[in-house]
Formats: sequence, C-alpha cells, structure tokens
Amino acid sequence: MKILVVEDELKIADYLYTGLTEQGYSVDLAHDGLDGQHLALEVDYDVIVLDQMLPGLNGLALLKSLRAVKDTPVIILTARDRIEDRVKGLQAGADDYLVKPFSFIELLARLQALTRRGRKQEANELHVGDLVIDLMARKAFRDGSRIDLTAKEFALLTVLARHQGHILSKTAIAEMVWDVNFDTNANVVEVAIKRLRTKIDGPFKTGLLHTVRGMGYVLEERSAP
Amino acid sequence: MSPVHSITGRLTAMFALAALLVLSLLGYALDRELATVLERQQVEQLDTKFQDIDYVLQRLRGPEQWARIHAKLDALTPPNRSTQYWILSDDPRIRYGNALAEIVGIRLGANSVGELRIGGQVEPMLIRSDYLPANERHAALRFIVGVDSGPYARTRRTFRSVMLVSVSGGMLLAALIGYFIAHSGLVPLKRLSQEAYALSPNMLSQRLMTAKLPAELSDLVGSFNGALDRLEVAYQQLESFNADVTHELRTPLTNLIGNTQVALSRERSVPQLVEVLQSNLEDLERLRGIVNDMLFLARANLGERPQQLLFTSLATEVHKTIEFLDFLLEEAQVSVRVQGDARAPIESALFCRAVTNLLHNAIRHSEPGAEIVVELVSRDGQAHVSVSNPGPDIPHEHLGRLFDRFYRVDASRTKSGESHGLGLAIVKAVAAMHAGNVFAASSDGITTVGFSVSTGAHEKQNHNPLIS
Repeated sequence: MKILVVEDELKIADYLYTGLTEQGYSVDLAHDGLDGQHLALEVDYDVIVLDQMLPGLNGLALLKSLRAVKDTPVIILTARDRIEDRVKGLQAGADDYLVKPFSFIELLARLQALTRRGRKQEANELHVGDLVIDLMARKAFRDGSRIDLTAKEFALLTVLARHQGHILSKTAIAEMVWDVNFDTNANVVEVAIKRLRTKIDGPFKTGLLHTVRGMGYVLEERSAP
Repeated sequence: MSPVHSITGRLTAMFALAALLVLSLLGYALDRELATVLERQQVEQLDTKFQDIDYVLQRLRGPEQWARIHAKLDALTPPNRSTQYWILSDDPRIRYGNALAEIVGIRLGANSVGELRIGGQVEPMLIRSDYLPANERHAALRFIVGVDSGPYARTRRTFRSVMLVSVSGGMLLAALIGYFIAHSGLVPLKRLSQEAYALSPNMLSQRLMTAKLPAELSDLVGSFNGALDRLEVAYQQLESFNADVTHELRTPLTNLIGNTQVALSRERSVPQLVEVLQSNLEDLERLRGIVNDMLFLARANLGERPQQLLFTSLATEVHKTIEFLDFLLEEAQVSVRVQGDARAPIESALFCRAVTNLLHNAIRHSEPGAEIVVELVSRDGQAHVSVSNPGPDIPHEHLGRLFDRFYRVDASRTKSGESHGLGLAIVKAVAAMHAGNVFAASSDGITTVGFSVSTGAHEKQNHNPLIS
C-alpha cells in the first residue's frame, strides 16, 4: 500500500510517517502543495492524506488538479470544520474529511475503510482464536460452547471481529454499532465492552478483548505473556 | 460641531426663523394698514381742500372778487407747495397757477381722484378737478387741486426701514435668546454626556444617575442603564467563562507536563514509559474533547445553522437515543418512558446529541429503580422535548444558569471524571441552531430539563443566539 502524505506541519508529518510506516504502509512525504502535486500526479498511490492549508498550493487546488487526471482516494485534514468547508472539500472530490485535532486511530480506520473498498465478499464466519462468530445465524461460540449475546452485544462483537488486530476508538465503535456520529461524554462503549468481555472472556483462561488505554479496544488472540 | 449636528445650533436657527416669520408677517400687515390709512388721509385732505375751493367758487358773486380768490389761493398754497391750486379758463382774469401742459390735458370726472406728475417729481400729486360752466358771474372754468403725496410716501418709506431694522433686530434677538434657552435646556444632556464619558470599562457596576435629570432624559438613561446591566452580566459571564476554560485546561496540561517531566528525569523501563504515554493520551483526549465542544459552541454562537434539516418524528429519534444509552440505563437500573410525539425539521445528529446529553444527565442523577420520562409536546410553533427524573430539587438560583458553559450546581464538584460541564450548553446550542430554546424546572422531587426546536422549517431564523 502506497500512501502520500502532504502536510506542512513537520511534527504531524513525522508522526504520520512513523505511524503509517509501522502499520505496513509505504509512505511518501511532501511538505508543500507544489511538491505534493508533483508526487500525486507522477506516482500512483493507493490513498493520499492531504492537509487543506498548504504553502505553495492549497489542498483544494491540489485536489482539483489531481481529480482532473485520476481518482486516487483522498482524505483531507483540516483545522477548519465549518460545514461549508466540509462541503467544499467533498465537492472538490475528497473521499473523506478529518478535522484537527484528530486521533491517529481515527485516521487509520478511515484509511482502512478507503483502501478496503471493493474488496472481496465477506465470509459467513469470523474467527478470532477459538471464538467463532456465525454471521448468518447471528450466534457466537467459544471453545465450542454457545455464548448468549444480546443483539447490540452481537453487533459490537461483529464490528470488533471484522477489525480484529486493529485498535478501534470509542468514537469509531459508537459510529459503527449505534450509528452515533457525534461526540458524547456518555460512557456507553466502556459499559458495553465491559459486558461483552464478561461474556466472551469471563469464563475462559485467555482474554481476547483488550483495552488499549487512551486509544480504544482491540479483539485479537495474544500469546500468553 | 457643525450647526446642523448641534442641537443648540439647530434650535437657535429655528428660533431665528420663527421670529423672522412672525415679525415679517406682522410688519407686512402693519405696512398694509399704514398704506390704507395714509391713502385715506391723503384723499380726505384733498377732498377738504377741494370742497373749500368749490364752496368759494359756488358763492362767487362777481368778477371783482377774483383778486381776493387768487390771494386766498396764494395763502392756501404752503411754501413747500405740497398743495397746489389751478384755475383754468378762457378768461385771463380768472386763471390761476402755472397752466402747464400736464394740467391742461387733465380730464377727470367730478368725484374721482387722479394722479399727476409735474416735471421731475418722484412722487405723483393726487388731484381732483371740477368744471364750472359759464354763468352770469364768470366764464367757463375748471379748477384743480393737487396734493403732493411725497410726505406720505416718505412716511411709508421711513416706516418700512424702521420695520426692516426691527425685524432683523428681533430675529437676532430671538436667535440670541434661543441660543441661551437651548444652551441652558441642554445642560442636563451635556452633564449626562460627561457622565457617560466618564464610565470606565474597569468599573462595570457604574451607572448613570437619573435623580437630577428631566423626565425626557430619565427614560433614555433608564434604557441605557438597562443595556449596561445586560453588558455587565454578559461581561461577567465571559470573564468567568474564560476563567473556567483556563481552569478546565489547566488540570490536564499540568498532568501532561508534570508526567512527562517526571518520566524523562530518569531512565525508565519501556512499560513505565508506556504507562506515562497512556496516561498522557487520556489527558490529551480530554483536551481534544473540550476543544471540540468549545468549537461546536463557538460555531453555534456565531449563528451556524444545520444544513440537512429533515422533517421527522421526534419520538423515533428519542427511541434511537435510548437504544444507544441502553447499557447505561441497565447498569444504572433506570427505565425511560416516552410520552407523546411531535414532528419537526431537525438535523438528526444534533438532535440526538442534545437528547443524549439530557438523558445522560438524568441517568447520572437518578437512583436505581427510578423512571425517567421523556415528554414530547408540540405547541406555539415549537416542539418541546422535556426530560424529567426524580431527584432532589435544584435550588431556583441554579436553574437559570444550568445551561451556562462549565456551570455546575455543586461548585465543589470540580473533580471532573467524564463530564466537563458543557453538556447542557451544547443542548442550548442545538436548540438555538433549530430556532428553539431551553427550559428547566425543579419542584416536588422532580427535575425537568428540556429544549425546544422550531416546527417551521424556515421561519424566524434571524434571532441572535448571543442575546437569547
């Protein structure tokens, strides 16, 4: 996966480079609009992360010149989040939009969503270690025994299992499970995770549902420490 | 200060104009009257002289008397020749006066008054003449009496110039008096203006004094003081708000700086560093939450409006929110009942955010086993969403301020776990974005907090959220 990051703020560019490289992406950096435009037009990237306010050439102008030639998916980063700005960005051909301050986990999730598009049909069963989720029957089993889950708990488990190995932020979980796309102080996700954990991990020796403090939650099989 | 923009200047000019108008009218009327009187006097004088001569001539007994008549006419003619007599006749004995061509040409009826200019005279003479046919005592004759109108005209001219001087003088005097009246009348205004000028931004409780002011101004001062009251409240809110923001940001920042410095001051193991980073991340997420909410409130305050209004059932949206909060409700062992329904154009995410905040508040303030009631009522063009929960009454002085940013009923509860005191401010912002309002009540062990949204999509969007 090749990613181009066009961002003039050096600290952000640096951590994006490190973070995305560690996630297995091959990352090119550009620190101003003109370099960014040159790279974007010359090289075929899987996705471009584009800051809106750039020296040389602003993000929207870069995006327009890119859209005249190709359809590379673009995520815009911006410090301005008035609705008009968002509309302008999407009209210029952006595929997604992230407002600073954004969390890295959030960016990862969006990148994955953009690059996953058009992937193969999903299997009917998801496996995480000895946990089996039957999507058709809407049932979950661990180590052969049925786990009794409510509809929302099942939805939560499915979302986590689909992204197994990836950390999901509370915001992302709230959006995917409850279709709630606004900030809230209500600790719904924490409570839900706690209950799900009691059911899928409680009776078993090894835990599958892990909390990554400050970031979110991840469902994965970890080798015993 | 140009006269147009100075009240004193304008009043002075108006006084002067009024005086000019009144005096001119008066002068005109007097002039007309004087003219009439003078004219009548002239004619009367002429008539008297005419009749005198007429009488003498009628009683003329013989030609021997002409010398006496001529002498009498000489005596009657004043040295300045303001009255003149002529007798025209074929008989040279009878003739009297310089028979100038102008005189000879005169043809006048017996009782009419004519005008005659002799030589270079500026003012005409008023004349009367009569014709006496020949009889046994004298030949045919015509006699003419002329009275100089010059003195009358001079009188009028004098009167007019006196009038002109009086009118201009009167006008100037009126202007002068007007200036002093206006000046002294405006003294309270000047005092007020000085007082207002002396208002200092550092002394917010300063007000203008109304006691010594005339009634006309005390209304103005009342409204002005009212505006000052509102400004003071707004200013104090802003001040305390700034203090609150600083306070809210200070705690996580202190944690971040301190934690990081302590971590870096010594060699640390990887797990220790991870621990520090995780703790930092929690504080940073908290900062991000505050900043995002503040931005949201700022945008709402600047008048941003929802873009995607959808006319929909509010009960459906409330049920969606309840479903989201289901786990919390179960954990708190609290149930929710939804009463009624209303339809309104709303942006779902904003509406649900407000309802989430209200319900979350209600859950946190409810005892296990309690029932929260969400009531939806449509009235007066507004759909009202109220959330009631049983709980201790909130003192009245807190109710109005519940929706202020960072306002907490319990001032000691600053140890903020999950809530940073913006929840209800966001409800208020959402209401304002939907041309609605917020309300709160608390009595008999039930606390009700709610908001309304306009049920008309495009009406009254022009309210100012800063003043609401």
